Amino acid sequence: MRDVKVKANSKSTEEEEENEMSSSLSVKSTPEIEKKYVHRVYDAIAPHFSSTRFAKWPKVAAFLESLPSGSVVLDAGCGNGKYLGLNPSCFFIGCDISNPLIKICSDKGQEVLVADAVNLPYREEFGDAAISIAVLHHLSTENRRKSAIEELVRVVKPGGFVLITVWAAEQEDKSLLTKWTPLSPKYVEEWVGPGSPMNSPRVRNNPFFGLESIPETDVSAKEQKAETSPSFGLESIPETEESTREPKAESVPETQDSLGEQNDKSSVEVLLEALKMNQQEYFVPWHLPYHRAEVSGASASALASGLAKKDDRKGTVVYNRYYHVFSEGELERLASGVGNAMIVDRFYDKSNWCIVLQKEALNQD
Amino acid sequence: MRLIVHNMLTCNIKGVVNKFPLRIEAEKVIKKDVDFNPDFLRHMLAKIEWKALVDGARSMGYTELPDHAPALESDEPFLKKFHHALLELNLEEGSLVCQETGRKFPVEKGVPNMLLHEDEV
Repeated sequence: MRDVKVKANSKSTEEEEENEMSSSLSVKSTPEIEKKYVHRVYDAIAPHFSSTRFAKWPKVAAFLESLPSGSVVLDAGCGNGKYLGLNPSCFFIGCDISNPLIKICSDKGQEVLVADAVNLPYREEFGDAAISIAVLHHLSTENRRKSAIEELVRVVKPGGFVLITVWAAEQEDKSLLTKWTPLSPKYVEEWVGPGSPMNSPRVRNNPFFGLESIPETDVSAKEQKAETSPSFGLESIPETEESTREPKAESVPETQDSLGEQNDKSSVEVLLEALKMNQQEYFVPWHLPYHRAEVSGASASALASGLAKKDDRKGTVVYNRYYHVFSEGELERLASGVGNAMIVDRFYDKSNWCIVLQKEALNQD
Repeated sequence: MRLIVHNMLTCNIKGVVNKFPLRIEAEKVIKKDVDFNPDFLRHMLAKIEWKALVDGARSMGYTELPDHAPALESDEPFLKKFHHALLELNLEEGSLVCQETGRKFPVEKGVPNMLLHEDEV
């Protein structure tokens, strides 16, 4: 994998930022890695991505359906608007940083705007509830992730609820990890910094990372199916390609994934290395079929600039999405640092860590 | 963009104090019918910054709102006007202008773009 050049803006405090050689960037500034490996990617893949995002995650649906009738629900990082309007008795306002994704929402008549989840252009306490579904794992520093949580709490009324879900480092489908590219250690250090939450023996001893053989599904069959048939898979299950999850097919495990030319190691070795580093920073590929890439138009320049690569075997343009996957307890630790909110529920579901916060109610006299 | 959203939007440029409300420069306004729901409207009354709503509605060509929300919220003629202003006026094209800096946030095809430039963060 080519080394990723990233402006070092990951340090925790403003003082440290000022001491950096590069121009001091506030926590609200978008780091390069997110511009290249989150924003540009979603902009390029938006319609294709949206076509795979239709299954409603039951846990999110349950949260939304539990809200009182007439609630104003703020969805920060709404993507293709899958959850907007899910509870017809509530009023949803969605925002996303991706203009193409927002366009898909507004074409459906949803009330949306283009905005940054780390810096919501909303006055405080307007919302009755807020949701952040599979968003925070695209933020590359702990401070930005914390800011995003603070924003969610800020914009809901006292007593209001916030649901946050993020991809877990502890994946139920271990084979997925072999398709992800762990980001090299020196950049992990820069982004994560000392005292990271990942230095727990729990990760090393986690049964999810056992060494039994890892069955892999046949990639191209999955892709074909995703294009033509409704899937029971859920977005909460992280996919390596556009397909959603299916029952595992028995097949010969591959030792090289589509980015194999950069990675000569066997999949088990990669996994072991990732374990050793308590790896939480990854590039996760997205395969955009050629015919979709032509429609998008963005892929020609992405290929030219090296942001994306062609996979002729699969007939796709391959983009990498940046993820910081969360380890057990990390989301809670981050949320408990937000002063005026309490954790009222926490759970692991389909390879995601999830949390429900409640904003402090006003004191009643 | 409808006024229910406008009533929440702020200018997040670093250092700006007078971030709400944003002044509306309307170029194209469309009216779309929405089902009347008095319970929802009463719920919204507690959230809405009234002057911002009145000014916003005026910018979009609707001047029927009273300067103050009446004490008797359940007054149906009032609720109908409130409903129309809050939910049925759509800004399709125009700008939202920060009162302090003059910065314009574009609204295109009904969608505001509130993203800041690097130097505004």
